[in-house]
Amino acid sequence: MSAHHAPSSETNRPEYTAAFLVLRLWLGLRTLFAGLEKFESGGSFSFENYYKNMARMAGGISGASILPLWATKTFAFFLGYALVLLGLSLLAGFKTRGTLFFTGLLYTGLSFGLMVVQEGEGVAWLGVHVALVAFALVLVRHNRFALSSEQGN
Amino acid sequence: MADLIPFTRRSFLSTSAKLGAVAAAAPYISRAAEVGAKGADTLNVAIIGCGEEGRILANAAMPIPGIRFAAVCDIWPYNLTRTERLLKKFNHPAQPFEDYKDLLANTKDLDAVLIATPDFMHAEQTVAALKAGKHVYCEKLMSNTVEGARSMVLAAREAKKLMQVGHQRRSNPRYQHAREKIVREGKLLGRITNISGQWHRAVSDDYGYPNGQAIPEAKLQKYGYANMHEFRNWRWFRKYAGGPVSDLGAHQIDIYNWMLGSNPRSCIASGGVDYYKNHEWYDNAYIIFEYPTKDGLVRAQYQVLTTTSAGGGYHEYFMGDEGALKMSENPRFTKLYREARAPEWEPFVAKGYILKPETGEGAAAPVKPWEKPGVKKLAGPAPRGATVDVRETAQLSAWDIPVTLDKAIHQPHLENFFDAIRKGTPLNCPPDEAFASAVTVLKVNEAIAAKKELTFTPQDFIA
Repeated sequence: MSAHHAPSSETNRPEYTAAFLVLRLWLGLRTLFAGLEKFESGGSFSFENYYKNMARMAGGISGASILPLWATKTFAFFLGYALVLLGLSLLAGFKTRGTLFFTGLLYTGLSFGLMVVQEGEGVAWLGVHVALVAFALVLVRHNRFALSSEQGN
Repeated sequence: MADLIPFTRRSFLSTSAKLGAVAAAAPYISRAAEVGAKGADTLNVAIIGCGEEGRILANAAMPIPGIRFAAVCDIWPYNLTRTERLLKKFNHPAQPFEDYKDLLANTKDLDAVLIATPDFMHAEQTVAALKAGKHVYCEKLMSNTVEGARSMVLAAREAKKLMQVGHQRRSNPRYQHAREKIVREGKLLGRITNISGQWHRAVSDDYGYPNGQAIPEAKLQKYGYANMHEFRNWRWFRKYAGGPVSDLGAHQIDIYNWMLGSNPRSCIASGGVDYYKNHEWYDNAYIIFEYPTKDGLVRAQYQVLTTTSAGGGYHEYFMGDEGALKMSENPRFTKLYREARAPEWEPFVAKGYILKPETGEGAAAPVKPWEKPGVKKLAGPAPRGATVDVRETAQLSAWDIPVTLDKAIHQPHLENFFDAIRKGTPLNCPPDEAFASAVTVLKVNEAIAAKKELTFTPQDFIA
C-alpha cells in the first residue's frame, strides 16, 4: 500500500485517519453505485439500459429547462462511466485528492442540472454530497490504506 | 391525376362541411335510428312525472336500443312540454298527458311505465299501471308509507308483472364487482363490523318557477298539492315524501341492506328541522342501525346533512377487520383500504379484483421526467405530528377497484329492467327487496320522532 507522509503532530492522530477512511469508503460506494444504477432497468444491467436511462434523463432536463439537448446528452452519456471510475478510485485510494476534486465537480454539475429544473429537494440532497466531498478534501492529508500516496500536504 | 380526382378548395370546404354536419349529428342519428316504428323487440314506454328525475330517466333510457317513448305525463305543462320536446327531438312519438289515468287508458301497446313523480303518488300510480298490465320502473323511495309500499308489492304479485325500484346503485357494475368479488368471493374486508355512510349537501335555495308558469290553485288541489311552493319543493314536506332521510338516504341505506344481505334489527336516530324555516322534514339526521349477519353483528351509522357540504361528499364505507371499502356513485370518493394485519392482496391484483392505484391516494410518488422509472422508494418516516399517539395502528394501504361505469348512472338499472321484460333477466331491485329497504328508511323518521330505539323483527320487512 502507499507510503504515507507525516502530518503535523496535533493532527497526527488515529481518529483523523479513521474518520477519513470511513468518509472515503462511503463516498466511494455511493459514487460507484450511483453510476452502476444508471445501467439498470427492470432488474437487469446493460449498456442498452444505460443509454436509454441517460437519454430519458437528458431529455427530461432539456424539456424542463433552457439547457440544449446536446449539452445534457453529452453530460449524461459521460456521467455513468465517470461515477463508476471515480467510485472505484475512491474505494481503492487511487489519486484520492484529485479523485475527490473531480467527484465534487461532478456532483456540482449534477446539482446544476437539478437547479435549472428547480428540483429543490434533489439540489439539497446533492449539496450534502458536495459538502461531504469538501470535508473529505480537508481531511485528505490523513489518507491511509490507499493505492497511491498523496503529495504536497 | 388532377383529372381523375377533381379536388378544388371549394369542393374540399363543401365536403368538409357535410362531413362535419354528419359527425355532429351522429349521436342523434344513432339514437333516432333505433326508434321509428315499433319492431318485434321494441318496448313502448311511458314516463309519468317529467320533472328533473323524469328527464334523467329519459336521457338514460334513450341510448338503450329498442326503447320507444310512446307517452309522457305531468300535471305541470312546463315540465311536460320540455320532456315531450326532448323525446321528439330524438324521434320518439311521445304523446303528452296531464293525468296518468288517461295515459294508461289511451296509449296503445304500452309495455312499461317509468314513474318519477313525488313519493306520495308512487303507490297509487304503480298499482294502477300494474293492474293495467304494464311493467313498472318506479323511482325510489318506493312509497312514503309502509302501507303504500306493501300495496305495490301485492299488486305486482297479483298482476304477475315486473316492478323495479330505482335503487340504481344495485346495477352499477362497480358496486356489483365490489359486492361479488371483493366482499363475498375474495372476502377482502374480513369480517365486516361497522358501516359509516353519509350524504352532505350545502344549503340551497328552494325551487321556484318561471313567471307565468304557475299551476292554477284548483288544479294543484285536484292533484293533491297545497300550493305551488309545496309542489316545487315536495321533498321537504311530510304529505308528499320522507325528507332527506328518504330522498338521499334511501339510496345508501338500501346499499347497506344489499351489501350485507340483511335487514336491521334496531334503529336509533336523532334529527330535526335545525336550519330551514319553511320546511317540515328534518334537514340534519344521524342514525345508527344494528344488522344481524351470519358473521356477527354490524353497527351501521348514517348521516344526512343538508346544511354543509364539508366532510367528504357522499359515500358508503364498509369496515371489516382486514380491510375497508369506501363506495360512492362518484368514483372520486371510492377507495379500498387494507389493514396491515390482513393477508397479502397481491393475488387479487393478479385475479383482476383490485388495482394498485396509479394516481391519487396510495399511488407511488410520480416519476419526474428526468428520473429513472421503477426505482423503489423507501417510505420515509411519518412527518412529525402524523403519529400523535402510540395507540395508533399502522396506516392502511390504499387500493383501487378496476371497474368503472362509462354511461349515465341510471342506464344499467334501466337496462336490467328492460332485459327482465325481454329476456327474463332477474331484476336487480325487485319489489320484495325494495320493500325491505323502504321499511328500513321509513322507520328512521319514526325513530327520530320517537326519540328512542326502535326494534324490528324479520317479519317487519316482509310485505
